[in-house]
This record gives sequence, structure tokens and C-alpha cells, in this order.
Amino acid sequence: MIEPIVVVSNIIDGLLMGLLYSLVALGLSLIFGLMDIINFAHGDFVMIGAYLAWILAMNFMVDPSVTALITVPLFFVIGLAVYKAVIEPILGAEPLIQIAVTVGLGFVLQNIALAIFHAEPRSYPAPALNFGINVGPITLTAAKLVAAAVSLASLLLIHYMLTRTKFGLAIRATSANRMVAPLMGINVGKVYAVVFGLGIALTALGAALYMSWGQVNPYLGASFSLLSWVIVAMGGLGGVVGVLASGLIVGVLEALGSTFITPSARMAVVYLAFFLLLWFRPRGLFARR
Amino acid sequence: MAEPILQVRNLVKRFGGVVAVNNISFEVREGEIMGLIGPNGAGKTTTFNCITGIYTPDEGRIYFMGEDITGLPPHKIALKGIARTWQKTRPFKKMTVLEAVAVGALLRTSNVDKAMRKAEEILKFIGFPEEKINALGKDITLMDHKMVDLARAIATEPKLLLLDEVAAGLRPHEMDRLADVLRKINSEKRITMIVVEHVMRFVMGLSERIVVMHEGQKIAEGRPEEIANNPKVIEAYLGTKPV
Amino acid sequence: MGLGTRRNLIVLAIIVAVLAIIPFALGFNQYYILLAATSLIFAVFVIAWNIIGGYAGQLDLAPMAYIGVGGIVTAELLKYYGITPWVGMFIGAGASMALAAAVGYPTFRFGIKEVWYALLTASLVVILNNITHLPQVLGSFDHYLPAKTGWYYLIFYRYQNIYYVILGLFVATVLINLLISNSKTGYYLRAIREDELAAEALGIDVRKYKLKALLTYAGILGFTGYLYIVLQGTYSYQTFNSPTSLSIAIMGIVGGLGSIAGAFTSAMFLKTVEEYLRGTIGATIPGLYLLIYGILLIIVGIFKPEGIAALFNWVKKKVGFENRGM
Repeated sequence: MIEPIVVVSNIIDGLLMGLLYSLVALGLSLIFGLMDIINFAHGDFVMIGAYLAWILAMNFMVDPSVTALITVPLFFVIGLAVYKAVIEPILGAEPLIQIAVTVGLGFVLQNIALAIFHAEPRSYPAPALNFGINVGPITLTAAKLVAAAVSLASLLLIHYMLTRTKFGLAIRATSANRMVAPLMGINVGKVYAVVFGLGIALTALGAALYMSWGQVNPYLGASFSLLSWVIVAMGGLGGVVGVLASGLIVGVLEALGSTFITPSARMAVVYLAFFLLLWFRPRGLFARR
Repeated sequence: MAEPILQVRNLVKRFGGVVAVNNISFEVREGEIMGLIGPNGAGKTTTFNCITGIYTPDEGRIYFMGEDITGLPPHKIALKGIARTWQKTRPFKKMTVLEAVAVGALLRTSNVDKAMRKAEEILKFIGFPEEKINALGKDITLMDHKMVDLARAIATEPKLLLLDEVAAGLRPHEMDRLADVLRKINSEKRITMIVVEHVMRFVMGLSERIVVMHEGQKIAEGRPEEIANNPKVIEAYLGTKPV
Repeated sequence: MGLGTRRNLIVLAIIVAVLAIIPFALGFNQYYILLAATSLIFAVFVIAWNIIGGYAGQLDLAPMAYIGVGGIVTAELLKYYGITPWVGMFIGAGASMALAAAVGYPTFRFGIKEVWYALLTASLVVILNNITHLPQVLGSFDHYLPAKTGWYYLIFYRYQNIYYVILGLFVATVLINLLISNSKTGYYLRAIREDELAAEALGIDVRKYKLKALLTYAGILGFTGYLYIVLQGTYSYQTFNSPTSLSIAIMGIVGGLGSIAGAFTSAMFLKTVEEYLRGTIGATIPGLYLLIYGILLIIVGIFKPEGIAALFNWVKKKVGFENRGM
């Protein structure tokens, strides 16, 4: 019999993780919603970001989460470069070609990481935030609380950016109609590049936060990619709120699978839910424009 | 007087709060060419999509040769004998012209050789340039696409053919050629047609009878010359942008 | 038309003849024959994938799900009930087809395609991996085939026998592909790949034909699964391996969608290079072949979406062959 307190504490843990997933998935959702690019390598940027955070943390002996100050701007630039080199040529291509190219990109990133770092998992040995905080009978990891708080703050910031700023308006206008946007004086190419850069920058933030307690191996990206897509499928392209809600659901599902079955089956629970979701949501909901 | 081959009764189709087709009824007689016209957004294509099963109507019934076909999926409706062409052509880009038309012909036979021969015959019948029948869909002109679209539809051996803005984007002499082909299909293959059209000259010359739609409703029905002088029709067209 | 032009059959006969002498040419070196058998079995997988991916245009990323289910069912039947794989492989194929039907029917019924189909099939592999990892199913350890040899078990001391069995399956798979390609089903699948809505309006029951393609593909993979396990030596939850699954789809794309010759060439070439690299510098740079796959995919996707098949067409045009058929 599983103790109720364990269940509750695992669900809270799942909610915290869910916020982090939302942060990572938001970039994917923005990119897919704006430019119809199917990026299967999204999670692999999380993986690269995690290695980078780990190296910086080891060199400067700081908590990995702090390294976001360096990795986030750097990943924005990397995102721009990847956009120019790989994404721009496949804008408007068949979905199959887009998937093939981004799967290829993922393989490249994974195996560069494998060649440099090898398969064994890496983690920061002396994290500053990896201690427990007792809330009544429940113990929460400080690092996860910080990660969840920063994720939530970032999500709200981006929500504000999308709804209240001129650039956010340009993004939404281009998402709604990319033929008309240029007539309104919007430089579509620039909006695309910046949003892709932003999406990749968010993966670096998620990765740095995650490394405060997590481990990275070259295959970390695959699960982040699939999870992000599940969240996008669930939340639709409706914006930050949809992504946030779906991220929390995924986090909780994962926690429940882990608690009631076994930790190694947690992904199966999420993906089974994904199957049911795709099957039973009305047909047109996921239709691409 | 010929029997109605198609009866549309009180058809309604809504999208969210918008009523695209609002309680429309009309009949198509066997053997005729009927025009369906109206300004942009009148609901013509939506009506087509309801008849061909792409949309399920919210209300109303559609009868084809006396049989209720409301809500059947598109492939079953095609099997019953209703074919269509598309406003924006939907070519099979990586198949040759001949193969694309053979796909249509395969509805009535499982023999690929037979389907190929029939495709060749139909392409010849509509006057498709013979040297281009082995060209890939991505390599041919818009006029060719319209002809392939038409040939593909005829190859399914329909009794009723729905043409959605088939003349759009064509040059005047191409339109004349197309009108001749359609008349030939109508008379020699005995295929009844509904022609949705924006180009007035084209539809007026081709149709025996015209139904006019405006904002989802039928506002007039009659012979072309009656329609041309109908004040309601003139108002509908002038009220929006005349074409 | 049946199997298509006579030229196709002659080309196939020549390829089979060349493949048949490979064990002799390799001087029966067991390592090389195992390598050749592995490449050939991947050619079977990729040519089967061509039915769903190439003809029907559905980016199926679940080949290892069907290979694993079919292979493990056959292996377990042999291990625990002594049922010969000659029978078990049919049951394995049936199990894979049942799985494909259970997944495919609702998936096609609800019109799931493109990225969502790819994601769904990718997650199917992960789900099976996680489920078979449970202690009640396969658990965490490797399972071995019975330590017996002979035709009854399809397990041999030497690899040439299994190589020839795989060659037989290869021929069957190519013939099935040719039959489909030149039949009504093949034309319908290609029409569906080109434009589902237009296909449906021409009277094509899109769901039915997609499901037909999926079941054929899953059946071939399920049937072949046991031979894959024989070559691997063991099976476990890790048989449901996502990168391997992806790599089969990748070989199909690199080969050129809908091209049997392209699928064959790309599988034989990539798999041989992969195994060679794994055997030589695999210890120092373990993922080099996957890195190469990745780069190839990006190049093919951006510059030459027609894949290796485009190269063949170019050669055919040069030597004046007709540009159709195989």
C-alpha cells in the first residue's frame, strides 16, 4: 500500500517538474505555431544546454542554475545560427522532410555529445540548492522549487511579451496570417529568426535549472522532445496558458505513473494519455493551417 | 421534363457562429448543366462540400437519384456517382498525368492496365495534349492541371459532376476551350453538371439554368437571361464587389 | 501488370544472384557474414517500411515496435512451448498486425497524420519499452534463445544458413512491394500520399488503404522479427530501441520515398558502414554512424528530398531507360 503522503508529495513534485516542462515546451509551441516548423530536435537543445551548464558549473564552482546567465544569451545566438543554416531552407517543406531534417539535427547533437562526454550520466557534485525543505510532513527539493518559480516567472514574462508588447503583436499577427503580416510592415524573416532564437534560449534556461539536481546523458533530449510535443498537442497553439496547463498535467501524469507503477514506466503513462488525447480530441483540433 | 438527379432540401451549415449555408434548397435535373453563382462568401463552395461529403450538414437532406446521401463520407459519395473538381487544383505532383487520371478510373475497375487505357481515352476525349500525358504533375501548367482535374473526375464515371470555379485563373481563349470540352462531356458522356462560377460570361454561356446564392441563401433561380435582369441578383452583386 | 516490367524482375534476379554468392565471396568468414546478414535484414525492414512511409506517405517511426513484438512472441513460443519458429513467425506476424490494427484503426479513424502520426508511433516504441521493462513482463535482464541449433530452431552454429533465410524473405518482401506498387492499392496509396482529400473525392477509402499498408508493413516486420533476435543473440525490453527504430525510417527517407531500389541501396550501404564503424572506431567514437546519419538526413532533406532514387533516375535517363517502374 502506498502512503497517501507519498502520493501527495509525488504529485507536488510532478507539478514542479510540469512547470519546467512547460518552459521548455513553450519554445516549441511558439516555433510551431508561428512558422509551422516541426522541430524534433527541440529536446536535444535541452541536452546540449545541460552539458554546457554542467561544464560551466564545474569550472567556476557555482550552482548550475546560475550558469543560465551565460547559456541563455549564448543559446539565443546559437538558435539564430541554427535557424539560418537548417530551419530557413525547410520552411514550407513537407512535414516529412521537416521531421527528417530535424531528426538529423538531433542525431548530430546527440552524437557530438556522446563523442565528447560519453554515455555515462553527468551531474554537478556539490549543488547549492539540493537540500530539502520541510512543509509540514512533505519534503520538497529547494532546487526544484527554484526551477519551478523561475519557470513560472519566465512563462508569465513571455505571456506579457506576447500580449502587451509591439514585438508580441508582430508574432501573433504573423502566426495568424503570414501573408498579410508583411503588408503591416512586419519583417517576417526577422520575426521567425528571433522567435526560433528565443525558443532555443528557453531550452538553455530549462537545462540550467534542471542541472541543479538532475543528470544529463546524450539521450536526455529524446524524452524532452517527445514530452514537449505531447504538451503542444495537449495545449494547442493557444499560447502560454495552454502550455502551462498541459505541462502541469504531464508532470502530474508522470508522477502518478512513477508512484503507482514504477519509475521506469512513467513515460508509458504519459504517452498512453497522449494516444487517448490524439484519438479522442475532435479531428480538426490539431489540423495545421 | 427530366427527373431531378439531385435534390438539396433545406441545407444548413454553420461554422461556429457563422451560418455559411442558410436553409438552401434546389434541384438538379438529369442531363442539364446548372450554374450556381453568387458573390464571394455566398456559400457556394460550402454547398459543394456538403454535397460531396467533406462537411456534414447541420440540417437538411441531400438526395441523389432518390437516395438519401446526407452525411455519407466522400469516398462513398464518389462511389454513388458524384465527382468534383477543386477551386484550387489539387494535383498529384509526383504522379504522371496518366497515372493521376488512372487513379480516378480505378474506382470502377481493379485492373491497372484497363484503368490506364481508360485514362488515355479520357485524356484524348477532352483534348489533353498527348505529348504531356507522361509528364509529372509538378511540371505542367495551370490549364493542364484543370484538365487533369477534370479528367480524373470523369474517370470515376460520375453521373453528376460538380465543377468548382473551373474557369478561375484561365485566359479567355482557354475558357472558351474549356466550355467546349464541358459541353462535349455533358452531351456525349451524359454527365449532369453543376458549375460554380465567378466568371459571369463563362457560366451564362454554359448553363441552361442558374441558381443564385447570396449570404448563404438562394435569392434567385431561372434561365440565364432572367437571372441577368433580376434586380435582386444585380443588387447582391453590386452591393458587394462586382466581378 | 502484376509484378511490373520484366526489367524489374531481371534486375531483382541479378541482385539476388549477387547476394547469394556473397557468403562464398566472403570465404565464409563468420564475422562478415553476420555483417552481411544484418545489412540484409535491415534492407528487408526498410523495403517493408517503404510501403507505409514511401507509398502511403505516413512517417511511421515504430518499426522496432513491430519487429520486437513479432520477434519476442516467436522467441517466447519457442522457449516455453517448443513451437518451431516456422510456425511461430506467423503467429509473431499476427501479433504485430494485431498491434498495428489496435493502434492504426483509431489513429486513421480520427485523421491523425503528419507530425502527430510520427509522434504517436515514436511514443509507441517508448511505451512498449517501458511496459516490457516491468518485472512482470521481461524485466531488466537479457533473455537468451534456447541453446539448440538446427532448422527446427532456425538457430545455427554458422551464419550462412540464416543469411539465406533472410535472403528468401528479402525476395518475398521485394515481390510484395512490386505487387503493391503495380496494383490498384499502390496507385491509391500514392494518391493518398499526394493529397488525401483529393484521393477521397475520387472514391478512395483513405482509412482502409492506410490501414492495409500499415498491416502489410507490420506483418512483414513481425514475421522477420525472430530472425533479427537470432542475429542479435538476445532480446529484452531494449529490443524496443528508439534510435534503431528511427534509423529504419531514416534509411527509407535517404533512399527516396517509394523507391525499392533506393531503399535497398540506402539500407545496405548505411547499415554496412554503421556496422563497420561500430567494429572499428566504435570504442572511441561510439555514435559516429548516427552522426553520419544525421548529417546525411539534413543534406538529403535540404538539397535532395528525392533521395538516392533521384540518382538512379538520373543514371537511367543517361542510359536511356524509361523513367518508371522499380
